[in-house]
Amino acid sequence: MSDHETIRGLLALSASGLLECAEEREVRRHAGECAACAAELQAYAQLTDGIGTLPAPQAPVHLVGQTVVLLALEADRRQGARMASGVAVFGLASAVIVAQALRVLTGDTAAMAWVAWATATSLFGVASAVILKLSRRKYERSAI
Amino acid sequence: MIYAAAVDENLPFSSSSRVARLRSGDPGALAETVELYQHRLYRYLVRLVRDPAAADDLFQQTWLHVVRQLHRYDAARSFDTWLFAIAHNVAIDALRKRPGERLDDLEFELAGAAPDALSGILAGERTAILAAAMAALPAYYREALTLRFEEGLKLEEIAEVTGVPLSTVKSRVQRGLEAMKRSISRDEIL
Repeated sequence: MSDHETIRGLLALSASGLLECAEEREVRRHAGECAACAAELQAYAQLTDGIGTLPAPQAPVHLVGQTVVLLALEADRRQGARMASGVAVFGLASAVIVAQALRVLTGDTAAMAWVAWATATSLFGVASAVILKLSRRKYERSAI
Repeated sequence: MIYAAAVDENLPFSSSSRVARLRSGDPGALAETVELYQHRLYRYLVRLVRDPAAADDLFQQTWLHVVRQLHRYDAARSFDTWLFAIAHNVAIDALRKRPGERLDDLEFELAGAAPDALSGILAGERTAILAAAMAALPAYYREALTLRFEEGLKLEEIAEVTGVPLSTVKSRVQRGLEAMKRSISRDEIL
């Protein structure tokens, strides 16, 4: 490939400011001697300037407000999830400790009764959480 | 101050106090940040997906990802680059789901060539032709050009946003410009 062809392949990158110093020097040197490459380099420079000054689409006025509401709901959801996890861990630990204490103090029957009651109330709690989550999702959709 | 940081490249947005405010979930800090980046991020997304309604949705998805991934952000790195990298992933996922969308079609080719074609086009017409020529490029080429010439990102920053090697970024910028130039030359000839 001739010097001319090699340089020609670098013109777009030169106009983009993406060449190494040595390559850029070569392009400038060649463009000083070759009218065709100089014209092409200028055309690329006009093109890159043109892209940089294209009219920018503006974000709609409602978009920031909607996004902030969405992020607030997300923060609220995350906080709720953290609290729910903490409560679940605490509840499970309490249930196990109480079951163990009942087994030691009053025997297996009371402990089993406690476990059955704790399981039933836990299932009720899970069902309530699912219902709350679904209604919350509906509310979030209407809020955005 | 945050606005000043975004305008002046020498004032990094990602100071530890600002990031700490964001991580603490400070609603004011989040709102300020969304407002600060709204036009840049929106422009990038519109250029990439070419659909303002889809860009609205992707804008919100991007910020949701930002909030969820904030704990992973390294304050020593540029917040702009990190934000645009998240937007890139969100937008590319959306584009992949679109039937017929060209992301990186190496076979795209546009006819004709005239070295000084741009100089002969009137200003208003020129803008419209440029915008149309850019919109006709495959997504990865549009992205490289908008990040380079509209966002003014450096080669390394574009590579970080798009997750590709420097050589690929260079190639996309070069091929994108060459294709646009051919397209513009052809339009003027016609």
